[in-house]
Amino acid sequence: MEDYSEFRRLGDELAAGQGVGDPFAAAIKATRMAMIVTDATRDDNPIIFANDAFLRLTGYSRDEVIGRNCRFLQGPETDREAAGAVRDAVAAGEDIAMDLLNYRKDGSPFWNALYLSPVRDDNGKIVYFFGSQIDVSDKKAIEFRARDRSESLQQMVDERTRELTQALEQKTALLHEVDHRVKNNLQLISSLLLLQNRRVPDPAVKASLKGMLGRVNAIATVHRRLFQSEDVERFDVSAFIRDMVADLMGSAMRDDIRVELDLERVEIPAAKAAPFALVVNELLTNALRHGFPEGRGGRIFVGVSRLNGDFRIEISDDGVGPNKKTSTSGFGLTIVQLLCQQLKAKCETTDAEPGTRVVVLLPVNGAH
Amino acid sequence: MSRPALDVLIVEDEMLLAIELEHLIEEAGCHPLGCAMSSQEAVALAEQLKPDLALVDVHLSDGPTGVDVARKIADDCGGVALFMTANVKRLPDDFAGACGVIGKPYSEHGVKTALAYLAVCLTEGRAPGPVPVGLTLAPAYAERWAAEDPLSKSA
Repeated sequence: MEDYSEFRRLGDELAAGQGVGDPFAAAIKATRMAMIVTDATRDDNPIIFANDAFLRLTGYSRDEVIGRNCRFLQGPETDREAAGAVRDAVAAGEDIAMDLLNYRKDGSPFWNALYLSPVRDDNGKIVYFFGSQIDVSDKKAIEFRARDRSESLQQMVDERTRELTQALEQKTALLHEVDHRVKNNLQLISSLLLLQNRRVPDPAVKASLKGMLGRVNAIATVHRRLFQSEDVERFDVSAFIRDMVADLMGSAMRDDIRVELDLERVEIPAAKAAPFALVVNELLTNALRHGFPEGRGGRIFVGVSRLNGDFRIEISDDGVGPNKKTSTSGFGLTIVQLLCQQLKAKCETTDAEPGTRVVVLLPVNGAH
Repeated sequence: MSRPALDVLIVEDEMLLAIELEHLIEEAGCHPLGCAMSSQEAVALAEQLKPDLALVDVHLSDGPTGVDVARKIADDCGGVALFMTANVKRLPDDFAGACGVIGKPYSEHGVKTALAYLAVCLTEGRAPGPVPVGLTLAPAYAERWAAEDPLSKSA
């Protein structure tokens, strides 16, 4: 261990080497930036020069500093990894700039923006390290505050997201529950109608009940379809008509009637699905029941297409024409008229010679 | 159409639906064995009566226990379960061993067609044609019976 005066002498020599009146030495001594020089040729790289700014910054006197490795500035909260990086740079003979938490003599911490760089002699051998220190505690404090604030903001965002996700889950569960109840109640209504239909002997009452059952089934088919797609707002008309035709024709048990479908994929708002379904149900039932009295077979055509901003739904048959039909379902036609009015749709019945053609024009958006 | 009639058990806690289903089963040429309203009743009846087919609602009088009933019937009773529920999307991916599902609200014709179709599948071990509207088969059974998916045709 070499004593203080030895290192002090080395420092003095370094200064003297520059000449007494050297303006550079004078500047380093007087500058407000803390600076040190260490002797790289000595064991443990001791400080051999420290300017007044360094002593002011750290609170030590010169004889407490000279001869020591500068790690004495480190303390309990100093980042070990950062300190290690400085040590590694010195060992490798490289420059390093690093913000380190250092401690003054009185134990108070400050953020030290340390810059260390090796100084080489004419042969390229490292003889000194030059170090400068700036107190950046204020800047660091702002940085930390900003980080804290962004962390707490992030926390608030996370919390809010959690709340919203939970609310959405609750809402979805509620939607499923309501959907479930609607479907079960529709099932109950149709079972009630079926049960009563089995009990009553009067054919006229039976026909009425069957008619109502068909209407309930049309609405039931809508609800079965509504939540099958991911989009709960839109309703696939073609898929619905396919289901509906399969069901109506199946229960009619009329092998002598052929159904042809020409369905373009068309969607309407879910809110319009039920009235639309009721209209299609009436028209199909009408064609089936009144177009083809027992013994007369034929063909029913159902087409869905787009036509100038309208959906065009055609239901035609080659049965008895519209004028010869002994239509008894005045109620069914009333339903069609009322719901077309509600849907702002046009409904036209013409003689297809032979048979009947009904065309419904449903505006895609708004009214005609 | 001289097939041995399927023995069908109804597992449904809504009385009016159960009674109407009994009629539909008869009209479809099957034989209704009875009706259970709770999961215990269902399992007891299934063990005792050994139905060929059990129509199982998911929500029974003792809660959403229909899925367990279906699994028990498939695993322990040698029968085949068919779900009838309004909550088709909530069924497990493997259908709890059931052969498929009829979504509520179903129609009279939908149930009859499905029963006639399943009667052929169960007695002959293969599907007589494309799956009828209103019936969805479990993937395992669709494969076993080589049933055609109607959607692949009509899409």
